[in-house]
Parts: sequence; structure tokens; C-alpha cells
Amino acid sequence: MIEAHGLRRLFGQHVAVEDVSLTVAPGALLALLGPNGAGKTTTVRMLAGLLRPSAGHATVAGCDVLAEPAAVRARVGLMTDSPGLHDQMNARAYLDFFGQMYGVESRARRQRIDQLLELFDLQRVASRRMATFSKGMQQKVALARALLHGPRVIFLDEPTSGLDPLAARSVRELIVGLKNDSRAVVLCTHDLDEAERLADSVTILRHGRIVASDSPSALRAHASRETLVQVTLAGDVADADRLVARIEGVVEPKLHGKQLSYRTLYPDQANPSVIAHLVGAGAQVVSVTCTTATLEDVYASALEVAALP
Amino acid sequence: MIDRTPPGQLAALWLIGRRAAVESMQDRLTLLMSMFFAVVLPIGLTALAVRPRIADSGASGDVLAFYLLIVGLAPAVSAVGIAAGQFAGEKERGLLTPLLASPASNFAIFGGKVLGSIIPPLLYAAVAEAVYALSIATLLGPERLLLLPPILSVGMLLLVPAVTLFGAVTSSLISSRVRTFNAAQQVGGLVLMPVWGALLGVVIKLRDWGPAPLLGAVALLVVLDVCLTIVAAATWRREEVLSHS
Repeated sequence: MIEAHGLRRLFGQHVAVEDVSLTVAPGALLALLGPNGAGKTTTVRMLAGLLRPSAGHATVAGCDVLAEPAAVRARVGLMTDSPGLHDQMNARAYLDFFGQMYGVESRARRQRIDQLLELFDLQRVASRRMATFSKGMQQKVALARALLHGPRVIFLDEPTSGLDPLAARSVRELIVGLKNDSRAVVLCTHDLDEAERLADSVTILRHGRIVASDSPSALRAHASRETLVQVTLAGDVADADRLVARIEGVVEPKLHGKQLSYRTLYPDQANPSVIAHLVGAGAQVVSVTCTTATLEDVYASALEVAALP
Repeated sequence: MIDRTPPGQLAALWLIGRRAAVESMQDRLTLLMSMFFAVVLPIGLTALAVRPRIADSGASGDVLAFYLLIVGLAPAVSAVGIAAGQFAGEKERGLLTPLLASPASNFAIFGGKVLGSIIPPLLYAAVAEAVYALSIATLLGPERLLLLPPILSVGMLLLVPAVTLFGAVTSSLISSRVRTFNAAQQVGGLVLMPVWGALLGVVIKLRDWGPAPLLGAVALLVVLDVCLTIVAAATWRREEVLSHS
């Protein structure tokens, strides 16, 4: 659905995006991560047919972004970083306008608008001026606008920004629904937890270049294959750290009161052995918690590595 | 899959223009100011400026025609502000990107925005002219309307849409190339001020020069409007708007 190779975009002398290649299959979600100014929005704008790449090529929904940008725009849905709603209009009239711009036939348009208003729980306020809408309601209207014409490729720029937790959850559920409906989704977000939960693949940009790109699990494994293990004991066990230090695969054990922690590359082998040694020494184990690298660790590490000279 | 037949260029242009015009006319502050120019100003000018002058100097068609232009131009000048709001204002508030992301062509977006910038001022100008005529008929007597010189009056009336379009296209061109609404207003004002000054000079000198220079100015402005609109519509690029955002 989305195939991009070597995308580059210059604004005057400034290189906004350099050598960006990515692929998103139908039913897959790609999360674009990166600090402000990393090139996420420019990349999305090139893929959505708004900006012409200075170099490289891309095919989106079967259309070439260089040769047929208007056809690309007609086939994709774009939710911009700010809702971009006209205050004086009501939600129904606003959606109707965009439905007409995308050429949705009148009857289908009415049905689709009703369907989306119901989906986003906006029917009761559909005739109210959007100036009176909360940020969450505005985000929902913007998302409805992006989905109005039933695009197979959807670009979402910070879709849950400013939403309360429940509204954010319902938007995330909707995004999962879009994936399940075989649509290709590109999600720009600063919410790493959201990216980890929703994305099939993650691309991290810095200064317009890709600094990491893979599935979240592969990125986590690549960042650090070690597992951090924390063992909570019922009482103080003197020398517990020295006791487990002798076990193969246990790295840097540390004891702080009743908390014993260590790192290991092989938790399957090391943890049972550690517990057996501790119990054998008379300790009572309350809990064992294993933590692998999070996407946040991967993100921080990727940006740090990219910043090195 | 949803059935779709994207609108043609002119249909898209009309959709954008109509929406922009409605949006602008729904803005309460703009509406209040425009109604002042369209209703209060013509009545006030007739009562406070036209009546005393006619009473002093006898029946003068030139005076009536001069105020015909002033009354029409006062609401029409708002096209500059509306056009600045349509491009720079909407860009500043993040409203323009969804429209730029639509399948509409550059021509349809630019043309629609310009159309949306001139429809409200022209409507208010038409109302203002009608209120002015009614005020003359009511305050000075209906027979005074017959004093309006036909050629001069037609010239004055043609000048209103010509000036409105010129202001809107110039302001659209400028405002799509600057970052903020304020910058668009300031640069637009700087560019348009000499043109309006020259026009006002021609109108003030009407009594000495006769209607020919005015008709010449109208013709020149119409030609300028056509050229400027064609060049602007052909060269306007959504990319440029996004590059400056």
C-alpha cells in the first residue's frame, strides 16, 4: 500500500528529509517517531501527495506521488497535527463539505456522516458550532474527516493528543479496527506507549534521517537483550547478592534492603537457579519481576547514537 | 467501498468559494462591521455629508456619484482582510492543511478562496448602494436620484467590483507567501495603498477632468484584474503555502 524509496525533501538549503525508505502493507501500522523537527510531518506530507519529494519515489494506494499527487490525495485520509476545524461551522456541515470535496455521492455522504457521528458519539452536538467543542471533540471531528471517504491508506498525526484517557482509548480501538479492516496506517506520535501497543513496525527519525526501523520487539531486542530482574524478599537476607553472583548468567547483582536486582541474558535458566539458591539459603521470595528494554529505551538510545559525531 | 466521483475544477472552486463566503459571513464581528458599512454609513453620509452639500451648492449629480463610490467601496475594502484571513489566517490557525490535503487542484483552491473573499464584500456593497439610493429618495426626495450622471454612475459602480477583486487577488498572493495574518495585512496594505491613492485622486479630480479618466481607470483596473487573476491562479502552489508554514 505504501512503498517509499530514498525520499528527500529540501526547503531552500535546509534538508528536511533525507533518504527515507519505508513500506507499509495493508492491515499494518507504521509508527513514525522522532523529536519535533525530525521530518515526520514532511514525510507524511510527501506520502499524502501534498509535498513533492525533491528526490526519491513513492507509491501510495497504487498511485505514484510524483506523477499523480491528486489521485494520491483522493485515496488517502490525513488527520493533521492540529484539528483544523472552522469554528463557525457545525460538525455535520463541515463533514458534508469535505465529503463533497472528496466526491462522495450525496446519499452515501449523509449515511457515512451519520455513521461517523455515531461512532464518535457526536450526534448530539452535530448541529452545534465547533467553536464550542472541547479538544477531544475537535480531534474526533478531524478523525471523522480523515475517514469520511473510506480511504485505504490513513495518515494520523498525533491522533490522541489532548484527549482524555477514555477518549484516547476509544481512538486507539478505532485505529486497531482500521488495521483489522486491512487499511494501511501511518501514525506520527510522541506517545511511545501508544506506538508500542499499536504499531507493527516503528521508524525513528532524527534530523530527517531514519536512525532505527524495525518491529517494536526487534528494536527492543536490538537495544538490549538483557532482562532486568527484581526479586522482592520477605525479610533481610544478608549476602543474597553474593550468593547469586556465583550463578552462571547473573550480571551485577545488587541488594537494597529486601530488594535484590540483577541483569541476565538468559532469564529462563538464571531465574529458577537464583530462586532455588535463595530458598535454599532460607529466604522467602515474595515476587519476581522481569523487565526488558522498552520502546522508550530504544528511542532514547537511537537518538543518542545518532547524535554521536 | 464508498462510491465517489470527485468534483470537477469549477465545481470544486464553487464549493470552496461558497464555504469560505458563508464562513466569513457567519463571523459575528465581521458581520457587525459589514452591516455598519452597508447600512449605517450610507444613511449617515446621506444625512450628514450629501444633504448639506447639495443644499449649499444646489443639485449636484457629481456629489451624488462621488458618494455612490465611497458607499460601495467602504464595505468592499474588507475583501483584503478576508483574503488575508483565507490564506495567512487559516494557515496560522492550521485550518488550511485539510483543504490542501483534499483532491482539489491548486486552481480550484486559489480561485475558491478568492471567490470566497469577494462574495461577502460585494453583497454588502450591493446592500450599501441600495441603502444609499433609498436614503437619497427618503431624505432628499426620489427626484434627486435622476440627477445621478448615468456614465459616471456606471463607472463608479464598476469600480467597486474591480477594486474588490484587485484587493482580494493581491492580498491572496501576498498572504499565501507570508507566515502570519498580521504580516499579510501589513504587506497587503503597503502594496495596495498607492493604487487606492491614485484611484481616489482620479475620483476627486472628476469635476475638473470629467468622467473619461475614471472610465480609463476602471478599464485599466479590469485589465489588471484579469491579468493578475490568471497569473496568480496559474502560479499558486499548495507546496509554497506548506513551505512557508
